[in-house]
Amino acid sequence: MPEAPTSSTSVAAYIFLSPYLILLSVFTIFAVLYGLFLSFFTVDIGISAPVFVGFRNYVTLWNQLFYSGGVGDFWIAMLNGLKFAVVVVSGQTALALLLALLLHRITFLKGVFRTIFYLPAVTSSIAISLIFIWLYTPQGFINYWLSLLHISGPRWLEDPATALFAIMLLNIWTTAPTFMLFFLGALEGIPQQFYEAAVVDGGNRSRIFWHITLPLLRPIIFLVVALGTISSFQVFDQVKIMTEGGPLQSTLTPVYEMYTTAFGDDKFGLAAAMSVLLFLIIFAITSLQRRFIDTDLQY
Amino acid sequence: MAQTQVQVPAKMTLFHRKRRFRLLDIITYLLLGVFLCTSLAPFIFSFFSSFKTFAHILDYPPSLFPNPWTWGNYATILRNGNFPRWLLNSFIFAGGTMIFNVLFSSMAGYALARMRFSGRRLIFLTTLAVMLIPLPITMIPKFLMVSSLGLVNTYFALLLPFMAQPFSVFIMVQFFKSLPREMEEAALIDGASYYRTFFQIILPLVKPALIAVAILSFQGAWNEFSWSLLVLNSPDMYTLPIGLLFFKGAHYTEYNLLLAGSMFNTIPLLVLFFILQRYFIRGIATVGLKG
Repeated sequence: MPEAPTSSTSVAAYIFLSPYLILLSVFTIFAVLYGLFLSFFTVDIGISAPVFVGFRNYVTLWNQLFYSGGVGDFWIAMLNGLKFAVVVVSGQTALALLLALLLHRITFLKGVFRTIFYLPAVTSSIAISLIFIWLYTPQGFINYWLSLLHISGPRWLEDPATALFAIMLLNIWTTAPTFMLFFLGALEGIPQQFYEAAVVDGGNRSRIFWHITLPLLRPIIFLVVALGTISSFQVFDQVKIMTEGGPLQSTLTPVYEMYTTAFGDDKFGLAAAMSVLLFLIIFAITSLQRRFIDTDLQY
Repeated sequence: MAQTQVQVPAKMTLFHRKRRFRLLDIITYLLLGVFLCTSLAPFIFSFFSSFKTFAHILDYPPSLFPNPWTWGNYATILRNGNFPRWLLNSFIFAGGTMIFNVLFSSMAGYALARMRFSGRRLIFLTTLAVMLIPLPITMIPKFLMVSSLGLVNTYFALLLPFMAQPFSVFIMVQFFKSLPREMEEAALIDGASYYRTFFQIILPLVKPALIAVAILSFQGAWNEFSWSLLVLNSPDMYTLPIGLLFFKGAHYTEYNLLLAGSMFNTIPLLVLFFILQRYFIRGIATVGLKG
């Protein structure tokens, strides 16, 4: 029975909360609103004062859709972001779920496997990127291993056709372990009675998986897909250190484009407008995902 | 006749099931073994190759072990006067983030999990919602705010946005909710203030959660790149990831040096991870338990 709020409790609670609330309000809530506000201005650093321009930044981005030689950089970046999200989210979700299901079956050496699988997720994206620049060189280890399977490897990061895919693979490798732990936690949380009831009813392995396990995992699948989508659209570190958006803009991602627009071209207002559009697109996609992965399942 | 007809199929299915179980186990361990290799191989190969000379770093076919073995890459890196400084900056950033984030998020988590007050639900829902806001959305406004406060290129600018992280607050709430109420009620009835109850009775009870939040925030800051890239602009202030970016620019194709450099960023964290891995895993798994 929860007691009614008393004023001394409220005061104590807000004292406990104050550092968090202050930082959250300033660096997240205010920052989001300030970003929205900035998108209606031209802003540069140290040259002139901000000027209100209405929707001009948005119009500029809209017009980039109809350049004579194809779409402008921002939309190339958005398209790359979309490709990246589709491949990485499906790859990491499937791999994470597979690893979790495999680990959930075993007891012997389970802890060892889990620990080692998590290694790629612990390591810094910069160190990993430096390591993979070397592994991806045309005469590097990855192509050597492929040659053992009689596959002649591509020039990975140097070829516009494969550079984005190379970064996608790297990303799946580093993000799947975290989501594996999400799934493992969820699998361990499924009450044993469900399985017992299914076995009594004569359900076989695959039926149990499709009709019991998978539906019960829906909320966590949505969480993984949503978090994966959000992080796919913000990939930046690997692009900055491995390819700088190239070759031929094949790895230009939305956040990298925002970064160069703001800090390279000194157009902070335009970059803020890009971030607002990016936010709206991500929000729309995750809302759609929520509708398709029906999460209103309670047990 | 009738008996054997009944018994034989029964025996066969039993035998069949047992065999299938074994086969499934073999496949499971086989697959796990494959993933074990893909998880480990890049670390093992890059670690050994960081002892190769420039002449042999791109040998084809590549060999696992360096021949000749050299410490020269590490010597070159340590002769670059900034490297120790970058390591120190990384420790200050990661350590500072850890201390503030543990303190602030446990305080916030305690209030949200254990106290009744108006606005509680709103704050908790906001915490969940902001975890879904893409971080780069706030990158530009945050930078302009820090810049107009004159904080660019300071530890303070680096630390501020990470001092109280919503995800940590969420982990703390989940842990505090699982504690029995009796202990703090006894303390409160005995006349202890909320503050004494929190620091002397509650915090020691959630030590595993505190450790989980501590190492996750240390790891996050140790590996942080994009925010550091924006707010740091002189080599003496760089953290290791930023230092490595510029190091890469200066030694573009000297992969032997780049690999050795990346070991400085990797190994301290891997050591920490192996010592404290159960806390890491527990912290992450809370999300799955109650998504």
